[in-house]
Amino acid sequence: MSFLDWLDSRTGYRAGAKHLLDEPLPSGVGWWFVTGSILLFLLGVQALTGLVLTMYYVPSPEYAYDSVRFIMDRLPLGSVVRGLHFFGASFIVVAALIHMTRVVLFGSYKRPREVTWITGVVLLLVILAFALSGYLLPWDQKAYWATTVSINIARSTPLVGEQIASLLRGGMNLGALTLGRWYTAHVFLLPGALVAFVISHLYLMRRHGISGPLTEVKGEPKPFYPYHAVKDTIAMAVVFAALLTLAFTVRAPLDPIADPSDATYVPRPEWYFLSLFQLLKYFPGPLEPVATMVIPGLLVGALFALPFLDRSPDRHPLKRPLITGAFALVGALLAGLTWLGLQDSPAQADPDAWGPVSIAGRDLAQDERCVRCHTTGGAANMLSETRLRRDPEWVLAHVQDPEIIAPGLREPPAGGMNTLSGRAVITYMRRVRTGSEGPQAGGEVKLASRVFAMRCANCHRIDGEGDGTAGGDLSHIGREHDAKWLREWISDPSLMDEDVDMPAFGDRLSEEEMTTIVNYLAARK
Amino acid sequence: MQTSTDSTGRRRFLAGVITAIQAAIGGTLAVILGGSILSPSFARRRETWLKAGLLSDLPDNEPTPVTVRVAREDGYAQVVDRQVVFLVKSGESNVTALSSTCTHLGCRVSWDPDSLTLRCPCHGGVFDRSGAVKDGPPPVPLAKFPTRLDGDQVLIQL
Repeated sequence: MSFLDWLDSRTGYRAGAKHLLDEPLPSGVGWWFVTGSILLFLLGVQALTGLVLTMYYVPSPEYAYDSVRFIMDRLPLGSVVRGLHFFGASFIVVAALIHMTRVVLFGSYKRPREVTWITGVVLLLVILAFALSGYLLPWDQKAYWATTVSINIARSTPLVGEQIASLLRGGMNLGALTLGRWYTAHVFLLPGALVAFVISHLYLMRRHGISGPLTEVKGEPKPFYPYHAVKDTIAMAVVFAALLTLAFTVRAPLDPIADPSDATYVPRPEWYFLSLFQLLKYFPGPLEPVATMVIPGLLVGALFALPFLDRSPDRHPLKRPLITGAFALVGALLAGLTWLGLQDSPAQADPDAWGPVSIAGRDLAQDERCVRCHTTGGAANMLSETRLRRDPEWVLAHVQDPEIIAPGLREPPAGGMNTLSGRAVITYMRRVRTGSEGPQAGGEVKLASRVFAMRCANCHRIDGEGDGTAGGDLSHIGREHDAKWLREWISDPSLMDEDVDMPAFGDRLSEEEMTTIVNYLAARK
Repeated sequence: MQTSTDSTGRRRFLAGVITAIQAAIGGTLAVILGGSILSPSFARRRETWLKAGLLSDLPDNEPTPVTVRVAREDGYAQVVDRQVVFLVKSGESNVTALSSTCTHLGCRVSWDPDSLTLRCPCHGGVFDRSGAVKDGPPPVPLAKFPTRLDGDQVLIQL
């Protein structure tokens, strides 16, 4: 007796496998019936990739972003694992919608499969909840702001909105407790629900058998394995190849770290929530709950009720024009809203497109007073590798008075940076934390960047960098003014406009600085 | 269940196709996921030369403990390790750096000026000033780190 014979005698696994694989399928079951298997396969890939990501991810605002950055940049194959997980989420939503469409078109939800359908609708909601909770985990700008919007949508619920929002946040503000509970939902609660409902769904599918083709096809029933299993397997391979190609060729996005004080970030959800996001625009003010609660609630309610609304035995979609038409109409509306939302989405910012303040900060951080300690084998990590974890006020105090880091322990470097230099270094270090090494900047760009950071950034912004808004955004100033005009204006703006508050810089900048900044600004078209 | 028209050969062929494709998918996933799980275990730490003290401050032939600060990446975090290393000066320009970690079970050894040996407090391991095992359970001598001199400055590679 072999080991497997012994195992079978003790467990009966062969009979169990035979029962699972030999399910007789009606003749004519074609490629339409692979959608559920694809979905199951993708869920398995998500579980495996999620398992690996969980080994490296840290659910705390202090480390979440850096741990995801570590996965992306330092862990061998980490970016592929995260890519599989990130793009896999979109694949699952698409697969779930295709599977649901197949079930609706084939009337597979009809008696006696009403409960199978209901478990399927619950699974769709669980999948969307997975997507929503997974969002926050990288703790980047998109995570923070999209979750803020999501929680505020929940907050618009009449009567109990505030309580729901507090429950989701774990308090009054989005922070460590929010991340903890969303992480718990993503890796414990939702997987539990998913497994329970997948098992229920499959059990019910086996109990009632699959619905089969719309019209009976003559022929003997065939066992699931290998006759339909081969179709499932080929479809899985095609989907996996597409997912793998995407994961290898496209880097899963990761914005800069969440910054609650950043008023310039425009949050946009993933494409599968864009329709809801777009819908909100058409129901402003007191009508907002219509978009956040009433319409989604009616849609989900209609999905649950579908088998009880459509009780006729006809399965052909053309014999059920009301249901087919309503489903197509809702699908078209969701697609249309998604398309409108995509049109309205801002372009993804290039992480390597540094503004002048970052470039100036990189230059300033090479100051000998900094690299004395921030060097390989030195008292502190190199600034090009240091992740900014302190709050900006601390860093500002440190660069102005380096002794603050260890009072009395070491001889501090003489002198310190001024506030504008310190802010430039902070901006640079924020860039470092995103993993970007930044552009190679020539001498003129470096000088122009330093002049902008030291002289202009108090009142102006370029490419989102700079502290001031009073003087306006100069990102595209070259479209409005040429170099001659800019030189005259910067030299003494009061000669061109008596009411202007901007000081004259003619005496403060050297000729080289003036020429460089003027040319730099004039080139910004 | 198998219909009379289906040959066993076709069934076997389809089963083979299924096995081959699923093995390819499983193998690909195993390489990607296994690679990202196992790779940190085999990653080598970046070694750097660190200042450990001045040669002129070291007594002759007496292991002197120095604490070296090593900033390093610890996965997603940046940490600072403080390692104690014994510097042993022998001659005018020769210095040896010995690890303070006992090679038995990893306890910290310390210099005993009475017996002129490095002793481990855990299981009685004894090493001489060159790091060789004199007594007790340690299986191999204390680890040595590469050293070099930059003028009077002693540099060790950790």
